[in-house]
Amino acid sequence: MTWSRGNHFEDFSVGREFVHHWGRTITESDNTLFTVLTLNYNPIYTNSDYARAEGHARSVVCPLLLFNTVFGLSVEELSEIGGPFLGVDDLVYLRPVLVGETVYASSRVLACRETENRPGFGIVTWKTTGINEAAEPVITFQRANLVRKRP
Amino acid sequence: MHRSTAELTSANNYYEDFEVGQVIRHARGKTVTEMDNVLITNMVMNTAQAHFDEHFMKDFMPDVPGFQTRVVYGGVNFSMVMGLAGQDTGEQVIAELGLDRVRLRAPVHHGDTLYAYSEVLEKQNSDRGDAGIVTFRHFGVNQNDVLVFEGDRKVLMKRRQKLPS
Repeated sequence: MTWSRGNHFEDFSVGREFVHHWGRTITESDNTLFTVLTLNYNPIYTNSDYARAEGHARSVVCPLLLFNTVFGLSVEELSEIGGPFLGVDDLVYLRPVLVGETVYASSRVLACRETENRPGFGIVTWKTTGINEAAEPVITFQRANLVRKRP
Repeated sequence: MHRSTAELTSANNYYEDFEVGQVIRHARGKTVTEMDNVLITNMVMNTAQAHFDEHFMKDFMPDVPGFQTRVVYGGVNFSMVMGLAGQDTGEQVIAELGLDRVRLRAPVHHGDTLYAYSEVLEKQNSDRGDAGIVTFRHFGVNQNDVLVFEGDRKVLMKRRQKLPS
């Protein structure tokens, strides 16, 4: 039998909390690769000498990589079952993350609603928070997805 | 460092160079490849296989247009568009402050090309004299001029000249 992964629309209710799996140490190679593939040319992400001149101990993690890493950790519990990713609101970067730091993710359900134009799916909105190894919040955001209903 | 940070970056993209209402078309586009999407999706451990299992997609969402083949993860789409806007609107950024009203308007597939536009929505002073806060609205369009993404981004950006204290 298949060991299934992920949650359906019916599994979400407002206020339900999730502590997401794994955590992730964001390495220098992750950061450099992501930054250059997305052509995001601010040297604080790709030049540690420059980052130090700007007052950081070493290179800064590209904030979009931080977002994607925290988002990635949340996917299995929130959106793996599927339905398109619709958008993000109220994303705040609370403090810079430097290469070598580890981040963890958790989420809370903000809203669940039916949608007329996509039978078989509902729309769920979550608030997701990323914290570092000192448990300091580094990012928060709201995101919404279409989420498949149980067949 | 044996060079100044100003020598290593562009001269035309400081706080003073932006005006509210200005719209910028960024010089470069990028064709989003399977390598970009699958590499970044897997690197950030996004486990949604709609982004990396072609076989699975055949029966996944037969009635949703554009979802019969792998779709590029939306986080890659808007990271790529903000990246394409990055040298012009981010090279002098001291800190990225946040994003808002990010909307993914249309799916992107391997081989689609993305272009970026930015509109300056707001400028405000910050609590430091050497930097100000700029809010941009970024737009990403594909090779057919279809809007795939729009979203607002707020940054703390260097001023070329410090404000008198």
